[in-house]
Amino acid sequence: MIPSLDLLLALAFGNLGLMLLAGRNPTAGLLSMILYALQGWVLVMLMPALAEGAASGLAFQVFGWSLSWELNGLGWFFAIITVGAAFFSAWFAAGAWGVQGTRSPWAFHVTLAANVAAMLLLLASRDLLTLFIGWELVTWAGYAMMIQSGGPATRAAYKYLIYGVAGGLAVLAAVVLIQVQAGGLGFAAVAAWMPGISTGMLWALMLLLGVGFGIKMAFLPFHRWQAEAYGESPGPAAAFLGAISSRMGLFGLLILLVHFIGLARLDELLLPLIGLDARILWMWLSALTIIIPTFIALKQNDARMLLAWHGIGQGGYMLLGVLVGSELGVAGGLLHVFNYATYQAVLFLVMGAVVYRTGTAHLDRLGGLITRMPLSYVAMLFAIIGLAGLPPMNGFVSKWMVYKALLDEGLPLLFVAAVIGTLGTILSVFKLIHNVFLGQLRVEHEQIREVPFSMWGPMIALSLIVFITGYMPGLALDLVMVAQTSLGFAALDYHLGGFVTDTGNLNMLAVVSVLLLGMGIGAGIFLLGGNKSKRVHQLDNYAGGHFLTTEVRYHYSHHFYAGLLRLIGPWYITLIKRLEGGIAALTDTLAAGSDGLYRTAYTPILMLAATVLGLALVL
Amino acid sequence: MDFDWQHMLIELLVMPTLAFVVGLVMVLMARRLRARIERRVGPPFWQPLWDILKLYSKRTQVSHGHMHEISIIVLLGGMIAMEVFLPVPGFDTFAHHGDALTLIYLMMVPTLGMALGVSACANPNGSIGIARALTAMLAYDVPFIITVAGAAMLYGTTSLPEIIAIQQQQGLEGWGAVQMPLLALAALISMQAMLGKEPFEIYVAPAEIATGPMTEMSGKFLGSMFIMQCFQLYTVSVLYTTLFLGGGENWATFLIKIFVVVAIPMTLTNIFPRYKTEAVVAWLWKWPTAIALVGLFVVMMR
Repeated sequence: MIPSLDLLLALAFGNLGLMLLAGRNPTAGLLSMILYALQGWVLVMLMPALAEGAASGLAFQVFGWSLSWELNGLGWFFAIITVGAAFFSAWFAAGAWGVQGTRSPWAFHVTLAANVAAMLLLLASRDLLTLFIGWELVTWAGYAMMIQSGGPATRAAYKYLIYGVAGGLAVLAAVVLIQVQAGGLGFAAVAAWMPGISTGMLWALMLLLGVGFGIKMAFLPFHRWQAEAYGESPGPAAAFLGAISSRMGLFGLLILLVHFIGLARLDELLLPLIGLDARILWMWLSALTIIIPTFIALKQNDARMLLAWHGIGQGGYMLLGVLVGSELGVAGGLLHVFNYATYQAVLFLVMGAVVYRTGTAHLDRLGGLITRMPLSYVAMLFAIIGLAGLPPMNGFVSKWMVYKALLDEGLPLLFVAAVIGTLGTILSVFKLIHNVFLGQLRVEHEQIREVPFSMWGPMIALSLIVFITGYMPGLALDLVMVAQTSLGFAALDYHLGGFVTDTGNLNMLAVVSVLLLGMGIGAGIFLLGGNKSKRVHQLDNYAGGHFLTTEVRYHYSHHFYAGLLRLIGPWYITLIKRLEGGIAALTDTLAAGSDGLYRTAYTPILMLAATVLGLALVL
Repeated sequence: MDFDWQHMLIELLVMPTLAFVVGLVMVLMARRLRARIERRVGPPFWQPLWDILKLYSKRTQVSHGHMHEISIIVLLGGMIAMEVFLPVPGFDTFAHHGDALTLIYLMMVPTLGMALGVSACANPNGSIGIARALTAMLAYDVPFIITVAGAAMLYGTTSLPEIIAIQQQQGLEGWGAVQMPLLALAALISMQAMLGKEPFEIYVAPAEIATGPMTEMSGKFLGSMFIMQCFQLYTVSVLYTTLFLGGGENWATFLIKIFVVVAIPMTLTNIFPRYKTEAVVAWLWKWPTAIALVGLFVVMMR
């Protein structure tokens, strides 16, 4: 077999067909795992061919439009993450979870395969028409994946679909606009036409594409659908969706807004009165996308909702990094896509495992699971350190790059905003691990056991990736550079451990080694020094003179961070509720307006508008 | 960058040891200062060390499971790593492998370690203390991060040895405290909170044992917290000296500077009552943050 894009797509669609036929079979999970692994192998083999583009032999004409596919470096980078996320999700579902954890393993395997196939098709698009087709397929495949739990998931998925269709229409409008103006849809034609476009055209394109792709990224103010839609999906489905699905929006923005239009052009778009340019505006929107969802996450009582809200916030770092536009910033934003996918997948898988064993993800109804599910605990610990962006995990490296790029470009306020998001994340992920795994073990959970290997295997494997790419970020940066150079940015200067720049260095090899060595010294002092410690039962605890029994609930989980929430609680109501109310009211007004236009035939006005527009086009 | 293994190994062992010794003396100074203000004599010279040795040698050492012990190791490891990445006179090999941002995030590792350990004890009183401690961290890190951003803007670098070199080239008027007095003031206030001193010490709450992180910490677990306190005093004062007071030219001036820096919050702490948690956040997000933002604005205008 010669690895080619055709082989990749054949494997992806073959997998879809196979799952449609044999998805109920107990071996289906294993089978799809093998097929995802093969897709990963093909992608790795394709790497040398990316410089000139790996084209597909598949090309056909529909109504005079030619459709063809080609994978470039950027698409390859996202494809690797997609296939990787699918592989680990399928692994999780391959064993006990597929039998007992879900209503329909068939639905899970089929929708996962459909999502991967649709995403690969999107990532390999060569012109705007295939991009749009891929985009719609991804939207609908995502919908199919979200509805599989039924109940509240159906409602959340429906909400997503409405947003998704609106976004799709915005993308379609942009595609039509480009076709009319540029006279072609091929990326080459678009790239040739883009530099000469007028400011008005640029505004139109930026808004249409920003809305269209921003909705998929759950970019503020289009963020309201995502948490519910992802959170209500079953464990591994949420892991896959959370890890990569939203990044398709980032891919669209990168290819059209960053690659074709170019960040420099965005600087020309000055806002009237304020004097800010469009790029700074986007960056501040990214910063708000980091902060507001992070603090909404802090308030959640359901672990999956908490994670899903963080997913929205983390998307802000990626776009913020890319919009800085320096090599370090773009690499940081792209690296964050990879890093985020690794730890977010772990977190959703762990919560999937907890739900599998306990039946709930409610943060007030868990606790003390560390003694029962130690491997899940370790996986979650690694992943939350990654999500919080602390050394020694990989999340720190990509966030460091974004911070550094912001400081180097003289944007300290955005840097402060990004760090505030990180601080909020630390608080919120600590609440997560505390309420689920630490504290008092409940009586009803005393008999549960660790999940089987098919479930802890992917969690531990992924959390090791989180650690290793934090220790040696150069490994992940090798992948990032493929995407970065294909976007038209210069490659970043880096080594296995990090970076040497004129304004400050980062060498994770040194940082992590010293940290591990320090822990070794600490272990020596603590374990060898002093008297031997004696293990006591969890009820052998200080209770102000009271006697603790199993009936006494002795775990602080409800209304965590009470002091902070007393202060910022009212802000949620004033700021966020009003913001959301404003968005809802605006949508209502627009809907009512278009409804009125559609239902009531103001023929003369429509005729007048059409005539004016026609004249404007002709003259 | 070439690797001088011998030198690195020496740094790795000497720097944390020095930090610990200096930190012990700082604890002694803090306790004597408080004693003098309260017209007491204060503890003898070796008291801070005896306290730790006593706690380590207690016969009953209550452990609440593996995570309780591992978290202490993480805490000590994070502290040791922090000391190694601080530039001090004669030892800055490792400081070139990281920068101010790395250090700030390394400083959160021991906090996280402590938080995990306390939670592993399954005592809600401890967890309440941790919730308060993390809230306080969110509060004091906002003004602190703004001052770091301001320093990075002023010096044009985040490398700590570079920052020291720039300040030392220009002499006294090149010092951060002279160049950006507002930021230096804001950092001083957030340092007070970072060290957990009045009026920002509700999360330590030494007077109410039942609701603080230390609830289930006894024996060598508590002793390790004492060690952490030594490291913390040293780290924060060295970082402040590095950013605002020109770092250390030699060990004599360096020690004078860091002891003066520690003496300020340790004196102020005796004259304040205590804020509630939400008042800590509200106050720190108001005054020091406003001062820091004005300071940052001034730096940006240059």
